[in-house]
Amino acid sequence: MQDKYITVTQLTKYIKFRFDNDENLGHIFLRGEISNFKAHSRGHYYFTLKDETSRINAVMFSSSVSKCKFLPQDGMKVLVTGKVTVYEATGGYQIYVNTMTEDGIGNLYIAFEQLKEKLAKEGLFDPARKKTIPRYPETIGIITAPTGAAIRDILSTLKRRWPLARAILFPSLVQGASAAPDIIRQIKVASTYPLDLLIVGRGGGSIEDMWCFNDEMVARTLASCPIPTISAVGHEIDFTIADFVADLRAPTPTGAIEMGVPHQNDVLQLIEQIEKRLEKSIFHQLEVENEYLHQLTDRYILKNPLSMYEIKEQKFDHLLDRLSLGMGQLIDIRKARLAKSIDTYLFTHPERLYMEKEKELAHVLKTLQQQSTLTLEHFTNPYNQVLSKLETLNPLLTMKRGYSITRREGEVITSSKQVKKDDILDITLADGSITSKVV
Amino acid sequence: MAKEKELTFEENLEKLEQIVKDLESGNTPLDDAIAKFNEAMKIAKLCNDKLKKAEESVHQILNEDGTLEEFKATEEA
Repeated sequence: MQDKYITVTQLTKYIKFRFDNDENLGHIFLRGEISNFKAHSRGHYYFTLKDETSRINAVMFSSSVSKCKFLPQDGMKVLVTGKVTVYEATGGYQIYVNTMTEDGIGNLYIAFEQLKEKLAKEGLFDPARKKTIPRYPETIGIITAPTGAAIRDILSTLKRRWPLARAILFPSLVQGASAAPDIIRQIKVASTYPLDLLIVGRGGGSIEDMWCFNDEMVARTLASCPIPTISAVGHEIDFTIADFVADLRAPTPTGAIEMGVPHQNDVLQLIEQIEKRLEKSIFHQLEVENEYLHQLTDRYILKNPLSMYEIKEQKFDHLLDRLSLGMGQLIDIRKARLAKSIDTYLFTHPERLYMEKEKELAHVLKTLQQQSTLTLEHFTNPYNQVLSKLETLNPLLTMKRGYSITRREGEVITSSKQVKKDDILDITLADGSITSKVV
Repeated sequence: MAKEKELTFEENLEKLEQIVKDLESGNTPLDDAIAKFNEAMKIAKLCNDKLKKAEESVHQILNEDGTLEEFKATEEA
């Protein structure tokens, strides 16, 4: 009964055998989106290919990797060829990829985003580096196809809005593989012409058609162009890389002219306004100056020149009067001041000064005496206090009250336990000492 | 018409706008003001003429050999 059962290895080998001998699985063409992409350090790629509902593991060995023209990334849509087989270790089936190419539009978007991010990081889209579009361009360079709607629209719009401008067309391919190098070449050529403005663009088309405007070198050449640039790519997607790099982005070639040049009527109107303002301001100034002139000529002096003399005469008299009056006053003041000084107290009784000083001296002497007594007391008082304190502490006084000091061979006895029979003791009293013996 | 380098339209209009501002400020002495007024009116006329008399400008195309040639966009059939 045991024979019914086979091992996992046997089963896996069987499944692998079936896979490997399948005509379809042996050489498969597969379209999918890359996810979980991992480039192993040894050169192999491991990733998953998926669509909306399914996925399959994929391996691309380094020998095939070396033939792959791009660095795969998660989210890229790819076309691969290879064979599907079973990896016995995991029991999973997977595709061994032989060739891998990018799958059209899906990858254009990714390349676009990658380039956009890269150039943005370099600061190529920085508003600060954008050149100002001149207000009244007179020579305008145009890089586009010499035939087709774009150039026709540009020139007819230019004629309508700003006919005094002269256009120079730098003809270029604007679609296909050669378009980008052609555009780059013409931007460089145009840079050598004295242009006020350079428009680079084309009419609408499919995203692949206008892909040359997403070319990195086109972007870089445009960014380094010394002439103010307007991008004018008619398109449905939001922006091309050229739009981000150009100093101004127009949605269509016609738009580029509408944004890049003024309308002649607006400018004529502006000039008319300026003329009016000029006239108004000069007339105003003339009026003001004229009025001032009238004011001057209308003055009394100019109308009655003699009156000027009369006024001066009068003024002179008035001044003379003031002068003599002033001198008299000055003398009087000085006189009065002198009289006042002579009249003072000291001038009349000089001896008073001596008497007063004597009085002052007596007062000073008295004060000095008082002060010295006080100072002496200040120093002797603490001394007397110390003396009386010393007195109360004097042991002789204590002994006068009947106390005595007992010594044995000089040592003071303070306890009965210190002495024994027959010890000779000296007893000091207030007025002398007794030698005694302990019995 | 031999005179110093001709100013561009933009330079002329800028000059015009500056003169108007100067005159409107009222700080220009009368003699200067009149001189400036005359100059400005001349410039204004120049710009005006340039615009009004502008025939359709001759546009050019750069040939492969580097020469410029008159260019007219082919009208739509």
